[in-house]
Parts: sequence; C-alpha cells; structure tokens
Amino acid sequence: MLLTTSVGSLPKPDYLTKARSQARKGEMDAKRLRALEEQATREWIAIQEGLGLDVLVDGEQYRGDMVAYFAEHLAGFAQSELVRSYGNRYYRKPIITSRIARPRPITVEWWRFAQALTTRPVKGMLTGPYTIMDWSFNEHYPSRRAATLAIAQVVREEARDLERAGAQYVQVDEPAISTRPEEMDLAIEALGIVTRGLRAKTITHICYGDFKTIGPKLHRLPVDQIDLEFANRNFELLDFFKGRRFPKEIGLGVVDVHSHRAESRDEVVEGLRKALTVFRPEQLMVDPDCGLKTRTPEEAIAKLRVVVEATREVREALGNGRGTGAKRAKR
Amino acid sequence: MITTLVGSYPKVAEGAYSTKLIGAITKWQRQEVTDDQLEETCQEITTAVIREQEQAGVDLVTDGQIRWEDLVTPIARGLEGFEINGLSRWFNNNVYYRRPILHKAPARRRPILADQYRFAARAATRPVKAILPGPYTFAALCEDRHYNSFRRFALKMAELLHAEAQDLVKAGAPLVQFDEPAVGFGKTDLKLAVEALGVAARGLKAKTAVYTYFGSLDGGLAALQRAPVDVIGLDVVSDPKTLAALKRVKLTKEIALGCLDARNTKLESVTELHALFAVAAKRVPLDRLYVNPNCGLEFLPHRQALAKVKRLVEAVRSFKRGIRYQSKIGI
Repeated sequence: MLLTTSVGSLPKPDYLTKARSQARKGEMDAKRLRALEEQATREWIAIQEGLGLDVLVDGEQYRGDMVAYFAEHLAGFAQSELVRSYGNRYYRKPIITSRIARPRPITVEWWRFAQALTTRPVKGMLTGPYTIMDWSFNEHYPSRRAATLAIAQVVREEARDLERAGAQYVQVDEPAISTRPEEMDLAIEALGIVTRGLRAKTITHICYGDFKTIGPKLHRLPVDQIDLEFANRNFELLDFFKGRRFPKEIGLGVVDVHSHRAESRDEVVEGLRKALTVFRPEQLMVDPDCGLKTRTPEEAIAKLRVVVEATREVREALGNGRGTGAKRAKR
Repeated sequence: MITTLVGSYPKVAEGAYSTKLIGAITKWQRQEVTDDQLEETCQEITTAVIREQEQAGVDLVTDGQIRWEDLVTPIARGLEGFEINGLSRWFNNNVYYRRPILHKAPARRRPILADQYRFAARAATRPVKAILPGPYTFAALCEDRHYNSFRRFALKMAELLHAEAQDLVKAGAPLVQFDEPAVGFGKTDLKLAVEALGVAARGLKAKTAVYTYFGSLDGGLAALQRAPVDVIGLDVVSDPKTLAALKRVKLTKEIALGCLDARNTKLESVTELHALFAVAAKRVPLDRLYVNPNCGLEFLPHRQALAKVKRLVEAVRSFKRGIRYQSKIGI
C-alpha cells in the first residue's frame, strides 16, 4: 500500500539540453544524441532507485513535447510553423494531414532499455488520444470525434505492445480532458479503446481546470487509477471525494511541481493524513502533482525525496497500528 | 460586404516577416535591449502585418495586436489597481493568458493604446479598427479582490474602457470593437453584459462593434442586440447553433460573420464560405454585413493564417460577382 512513483517526465540534465539544441541545428548526429539520452535515462533510474521510489519512470529524456513526440513518430502528422502558446513561448503544433497509422512501436524500445536497468517496475508512458487530438490541428478527419477515435487505435496498439514487452503499468495521460466538458464522453470512449483488455494496471493523469464539471464523470474513466494534483490547491480537491466511495485507485499528487521550494516532510505527511481520512491506504499511490520536467534536476530530486520520506513515515505509522486518523486504517 | 479580421495576427512568420520578435522580447526581458528598441521591432512587425492584410485585399484592417500577450494584459498593465498573475487557460484552447488580480480600485491615468493606434493608422492605407476587451469579459477573466462584486467590477471596467475608447476615437479610429468571448461561453449574465456595453460604447463618435467567439449565441443573440453598438460579431464555426440563431432571430444590427475557423489549419473552400455568406445575406443587406474569421488569427501558423485571409477575400469577390450577375439576368 501507498506505493510511491512519479508522474512521468523528469528534468533533462544540462548536457542533454545542450545536445538536443545542437542536434536540432545539425551540429550533433543522432547516434551521439541517443548515447546521451541513454546516459541520462541510466542516471535517472539510479536516482529513483536510490531515493527508494517503488514504481519508476524512464523520465522521458528523449521526448520534447508530450504530444509532438507521438506526432513525430506516427504517420499522418506534419509539423507546423511556430504558433504561440502564451507570453513569448512558441511551439510547433502537429497537423493531422492524412490517415493516422503507427508504422512501428514508438516507446517500447525505450521502455525495454529502462526496465533492463532495474528490478523495480517501470511504467509505460503514453499520451492519450483526446489530448493528442486537442493539441493538434486536424485537416484530414471530418470531426474532432473521428480524429480522436483514429488516434485511439494507434495508442491502443502501442499500449498492447508495452504490455507484451512486460510493462506492469501503462499510463495514458489526458491533461486536455478538462478543456471541453462537453467532450468528456468522447475522451472516455477513446480511452476505453486504448485500455480495453489490458491486464497491466492502467493509469491516467489528468490536470483539472474546472473540476466541478468533470468530477461527476471521473469514475467513468476506463482505467484502474486516476492520478490527480492535490498539493497545488492545498488538498481542497479532497472535499470532492469526501463521503463517496470512489471505486478507483487514486494517484495522489502531494508536492507542487510549479514551485521551486521543496515541501517539508511534515507538510507532505499532513497532506497524506488528510487524504487518508477520505481514501483507503490500499487505494492510493503517492507522487508529485505532475511531471517534473520544468524543475531543475536538484529541485526534482528534493521533491521526490520528500514524497518518499513522508510516505514512509505514514506507512510505518499505519503498520504500527497507530493509525492516521483514517477510520478504515485502524481496522 | 466588408472583409476584416477579428484582431490578432501571427506575431512571427518564418516564411515572411521573420521570427525576430521572439529574440527581441527575450533580450528585452534580460534588459539587453531598451524599450525603444523593442518598440522599433514591434512597429516593424506591425507594419508588415498591415501590409499583408492590405495586399490580401482586406477592407478594414487591424494592427494585428503584435504587442498583446493576450486580450487582457495590455489593459490591466495600463491601468492602476491590477497585478498580473499566473497562467490560466484561454477559454477552451490549449493557450494561456495571465490572469490579472484586482487588488484596489482600478484607475486610468493616461491613454493606453492611442499611440499604438496612431502608428498603425499612419502605416496603413486602409481604415484600421481599434480593439478593446469588452467590460464583461475583462471582469470575468480577472480575479477580483477589491469589489467582491462582479457587477460593480464589470460596470467600473465599462467606464474605464469607455474613456479608453474615446481616446482611440480621438486618435482617428473609425470603428471601436469590444471583444466579448465570455458572452455565450458557459453561463452568461446577458443583462449585465448589455448594461456594461452600454456604458462602454454609448456616445462614442465612431462605429462600435461587439464581437463574440468560442461560445454560442444560441439564445443570446436577441438579448445582445439590446446593446448600444452598431455591429454584432458572431462565431458561426465553433457552435453551429449560432448559425441557427442567425437564421431565426430578428436582426436589428449589422452583423459580422465569423465564418473561417481560425483555430484549425484546414482551409475552407470557396463553396463552403459562399454557403455561409448566403445564410447571412438572407438576413441582412450586404452593406450591413462584415465577414471575418471566427476569432483572432494568432492560433494559426502564419502560412495558414495568410492563406485563410486570402481565401476570405477571394470568396467575397466571387460572391459579389455572382450576385451582380444574378441581378443582371434578373434572378
């Protein structure tokens, strides 16, 4: 119970950030870049093991944007000129220009590489069909729905290949799911296509905008575990779950990924104890709110360390039967 | 039929007027270039954007809002009482704006946009319209820690925006447009929106418009016509029900038909556009009809944005030819 993990992305070390920029300018060949991506992955696996995390990630050292990465490896997508996302930040938004297909597995080889480095389980990490659709232009499919369902088929193939390769956890992230509440049913349908028949534990991470509108449909997401941000809104989200018997596991985000400061162990223990008044311990996995790629490696490590230490403290308290204020835990 | 844009235009253009604005802003943030140097770059891009619109054949041009990070920041920064805060989602788009926080009574000490307007008007050979956020939307997008009353805040904003509009008219604007994407997006207090627009627009010695987009004016169009503005902008792309409302509701205002999807790269055909023009032409005389994309063009990469502008002009020209021919042969 109370296994610890991280949401997906981890920061790239300076040498890799530089290498990626050189590779973009044609100053570094693919082989050399790949060697550095592997080095960074090795380092992150060792760091996660050293910190004592239970379920690991490969840290996505070889990915840029979580949608563009898949678009670059699927057939049917082209890259756009720059568009602005906010402030002075620009990106290349994928354009669906023809029928989407997956010529070959995308993430499986990286998953194998990471899993070979550790005996602890490494999660397979995918971006969900609704998010890929919402974050792309669509010139080919007649509707947002048609595009989403076509993407669901290729993400499903990828999820099955990860499972076949041995992944015990497959995470399919849908951060865009709260963008248009009226399309929540479509997102659920598409995610169902991806997860149907998988034996691996399935997880989805969603970022919530207006939780009131998507909350009531949350239990219908066709996954075993829903990973949510709790820390950045001071665990207020717990109120939504209070008094209901939520039928799924929860990935409990206990540290804010947007702040530079590492939370104290006491703060995180406090958050966990609050959560245990609402959820059963066996229902929870503990992690940061979201991917850590925007933090520095040092900040990310500090945050992961406090996740592990605080969870350990709470776990021990539960094990010693001292309870945490959670009624069920005292059983 | 008057062709126009809603407001924003891509700030960078890899195939045309360059991406130098990105570097200029980065350097300005690091204080490596002065305000004047940044302003020079902004003016250069503004001139290029105006020239593109004129060469494409747009009748009523905009300055492209090259200096605008989003619809609210320039005004919030130009007024007293606001602090620019963290990122929030821009309606249902994967685009973000900085949410202003009102922490004391807002005040306007000097004109905010008039100098920029004068520059654009000098750079253009065609009329340039002035654009402001509407009072209702502005208030809805801020966090109000002063009034604790949405109504009082919106009406105060209406006063301040009216003063700003007056200065824009003095600077020569033939039309002042208030953007109200929050009207029709989710639950809207239409009565308040109309009242606030009344304060903002009444008595201006220029034409006035209110533009709505992203949401639906199904059920809101009749009410919005009570606002004392000359033109109502309708996005008939985002929600087809808005087109149904246009067919149904008795029209007392001039209409601006938002008929090209500025949120997707897929280029509309002339035939599709003619079909939409025909719907509008049945409801308003052609000399009371504006045609434009459904929202600002900044969601698109430059190449596709320009292609849409050209397509719009092409479709309007052939539509008018068709009508002249029909009347000549007596259909």
